[in-house]
Amino acid sequence: MTYVSIKNLTFRYNKRQTPIIDNLSFAMNKGEIVGIVGASGSGKSTLLRIIAGLEQPEQGTIEVDQKMMMDDTCWVETEQRGVGMVFQDYALFPHLNVADNIGFGMHKLKRSERKQRLQEMLELVQMTDYAKRYPHELSGGQQQRVAMARALAPKPSILLMDEPFSNLDAHLKANIRKELLQILRRAGITCLFVSHDQADIEAICEREFCITANSGGNFCSC
Amino acid sequence: MNKRRLFINLQKRMNVWTIVSLTGAAVILLPILYVLSGLIRPANDNWESVKQFLLTDYVIGSLKLVLFTGFFATSIGVVLAWLVVGYTFPLRKWFRWALMLPLAVPPYIAAYTYATMTSYTGFIQATLRNQFDIHVTPGTIEVMSTRGAVFILTLFLFPYVFMIAKMFLERQSAVYIENARLLGHKRLSLFFNVVLPISRPAIIAGLMLVVFEVLSDYGVANYFGVQTLSTAIFQTWFSMYDVDSAMRLAAWLMVVIIGIFVLERYLRRNQQYNTSMKQNKPLAPKPLKGAAAFGATAFCMIVFLLSFVIPVVQLIVWATWTYEKMWSADLIELALNSLSGAAIATFVILILALLSAKTVRTMSSWPAYLLTKLMTVGYAVPGAIIAIGVLAVCIQLDKWLFPIYASLGMGKGMLWLSTSLFMLLAGYVIRFMATGYNAIETGYDKIPRSYSEAARTLGHGPASTFFKIELPLLRGSIVTGFILTFVEIVKELPITMLLRPFNFDTLAARTYQFAIDERIYEAALPSLLLISISLFSVLCILNIEKEKTK
Repeated sequence: MTYVSIKNLTFRYNKRQTPIIDNLSFAMNKGEIVGIVGASGSGKSTLLRIIAGLEQPEQGTIEVDQKMMMDDTCWVETEQRGVGMVFQDYALFPHLNVADNIGFGMHKLKRSERKQRLQEMLELVQMTDYAKRYPHELSGGQQQRVAMARALAPKPSILLMDEPFSNLDAHLKANIRKELLQILRRAGITCLFVSHDQADIEAICEREFCITANSGGNFCSC
Repeated sequence: MNKRRLFINLQKRMNVWTIVSLTGAAVILLPILYVLSGLIRPANDNWESVKQFLLTDYVIGSLKLVLFTGFFATSIGVVLAWLVVGYTFPLRKWFRWALMLPLAVPPYIAAYTYATMTSYTGFIQATLRNQFDIHVTPGTIEVMSTRGAVFILTLFLFPYVFMIAKMFLERQSAVYIENARLLGHKRLSLFFNVVLPISRPAIIAGLMLVVFEVLSDYGVANYFGVQTLSTAIFQTWFSMYDVDSAMRLAAWLMVVIIGIFVLERYLRRNQQYNTSMKQNKPLAPKPLKGAAAFGATAFCMIVFLLSFVIPVVQLIVWATWTYEKMWSADLIELALNSLSGAAIATFVILILALLSAKTVRTMSSWPAYLLTKLMTVGYAVPGAIIAIGVLAVCIQLDKWLFPIYASLGMGKGMLWLSTSLFMLLAGYVIRFMATGYNAIETGYDKIPRSYSEAARTLGHGPASTFFKIELPLLRGSIVTGFILTFVEIVKELPITMLLRPFNFDTLAARTYQFAIDERIYEAALPSLLLISISLFSVLCILNIEKEKTK
C-alpha cells in the first residue's frame, strides 16, 4: 500500500529561473528504503527540504501515512509534520550533550517515557557510553549516529537523510554504511536517502531513482 | 486557488516576529522622516533671517570640520595602520592595540582638557613661562578655534580609520603586497601604488565613521565656538526657542548626510568588500632598522601621547585636586542615572535587535536587506536630528493622547510623553540600534541555518527554537552587543542634553556642564569615570578582533 505519495511537485528558487524540480511524482511503500542519486545542484536536497516543509513549492501535493502535508489548500508547518531529517552537517546542537540532543525532539513525552526512549535510542546507535559527551568530542561517524538517533527518537513517519556520508573519510565509509543499514532495518523506518555517490545508494537502498540537473528534477531509472 | 496560496504565504511570513520588527523599524524611521518633512512645511518668519544671515556660515563650518578632520584622521589612521601591519619596529605589538585606546576618550572631554592645558594659565604655557622664561604669543598654541576643533576631532577619531584599515591589511593584503615587493616596489612606492589603492574600501568605511561622528558632534564644536549645523540646532532651539527653525536646520543637515551616503555609494560603486571567510595568509612584516625604526616608533608614540596619555594624565592630576569635593553622593546619583538609563535603552535595543535579526534570517534577500538598513539607519543620523524628531513625534502623540490623560485624571493639556524619560530612551534606542543590531547579526551569521531547521523538524516551533537553540548560542554576541551599546549611550552627549527630563542629569551631561561653566577641575573626576567605562568597550572590540584573527 502506498505510504508516501508525492504528486506534480514543482519548485523554483526564483520566478525568473526554470524550475529546479518540475512536475515530479513518485510513491513509496511503508518500511521501504529508497535512494535518490544525482549530481550537486540537481535538486535532490531541495526535494528533501520540501518534504520536511522547509521550502515551499509552487505546486504539488505531499501525503505521508494518509496525512496531507501540503496541497493547494493546506500547508502543515515543519514542526507539525512529524518528519525526521538527518542534515548533511548533522546539525547537532553544540551546547547540548548527546543525551540532550537526542531528547530534544521528545519534549512532548512524559519524563519516564522520554528516559526510556532515550535509552532505546542510545542502544540502537550503540552510543550508551557517550551520553554525556558533547558533539565536538565525537568522531564524524559517532556524530552521524547521534544525528540519526535524534531524528528517530520522536518516532517520525519518515526519515529523510541528506548526504549523510559527505563528511566522513572514504576509508571509514564501508563500515559505516553497514552500520547505518542495520540501524535503519532495526528501526523499521521508511527512509528517503539522498547521495551523489552511487555506491552509497547501492549499499543501503532497496530501490533507487536518479535525478539529473537538466531533467528539471525528473527521475530516470539508473 | 491563487488567493488561497497567497494566504498560506502570508500566514507563513507574517508572524509575531515580523510584526514586532516592522513596528521597530517604523518607530526608528518615524522621527527621522518627520524631520525631513520639515523641508516641505511652510517656514516661519524667523527662518528667513536664519537662512539669510546664518545658514551659509553653519554649512561652511560643518564642511570645514568634515573636510579637514576627514583628511587628517584618514592620513594618520592609514599611515599608522600600514606601519604596524607592514613593518616591525620597537613597541610595534603594543601600538597595535594601544592606538585604539583614544576611542575611549569622548572628544568633548578631550576638548576642554586641551583647551585648559594650552590656555595662558594652563600647564604648558605656565611651565614654559616659569621654568624656561619663554613667553608664548597669544593664539599660537591655543585650541579655541576651528583649527583646535579639527585637532581634537582628528586625534580622537582617527582610530576608526586605523582599526578598519589595519584589519583589512592584516587579513586580505598579503598576496598583493608580497607580489608588489617581488616586483621591486619598496616603501613609498609600495604604499602609494599598492597599499592605498587596495585598501580604498576599508579606508572609505573608516572615513565615513569619522564623517558621521564629526557631523553629529556637538560638544567639541560648541565648546570651541565653531558654528556648525549641529550647534545651530541647539542655538535655535534653546536660545531662540524656535523649534520649527531648529527642525528645518535638522532637515538640511539630513540632506547633507544623505548626500554623503550617496557619495559613499558612488566612491565604492565598483568595489565590494571582500568578505570571504577563507583564511588568508597574514602578511609577514618587514623589519625596519636604524633611523627608520626610530622614526616609526617615535611617530606612533607622539600620536599615542597626544591622543591618550597627555589628556588622561592631566585629568588624573586635576581629579586629585578636587577628589574630596567631588566624591559625593551627587556623583553616585549621576552615575546611577547614567547607568540605569543606558541599561534600559540597551535592553530595549537588544530585544528589538534579536527579534529583527531573527526575522531577517527567515526572509528572502531584498526585504531582509531593506529591514536591516532601516533598523540601522540611526548610526548615521546626528543626535541633534534624532532628538528633535523624537520631540516632535512625542508632542504629537501627547496631543492625540490628551483625552486619555484627561480620563485618567492627569489634567487637561498634560504633556506626559514629551516631559518624561521615555523621550530620552527613545532617542538612545534610535541612535544606537545599529551598534546592538550589528553585534547580534554577526552572532546569527555564525549559527548554521541547519540548527534551527533541525529543531523545527524535531517538533519545536519558532519561539521554542529561539529560546532553546538560538539564544544560548548567541550568548557571546549578546554580551558584546550589550557592552558596546551601553558604553556608547553612557558617553552620549547631544541627545542627553536635548531630551533629558527636567532635573535628570547624567555623568556626560553634568561633566559637560562643568566644562561650560569653566569648572574644569571639577569635571575631571566624572570625565575619568566616563573614560574608564569606555575602556571596557575598547577592550571588548580588541577581544572581538583577537577572536576573528584566531
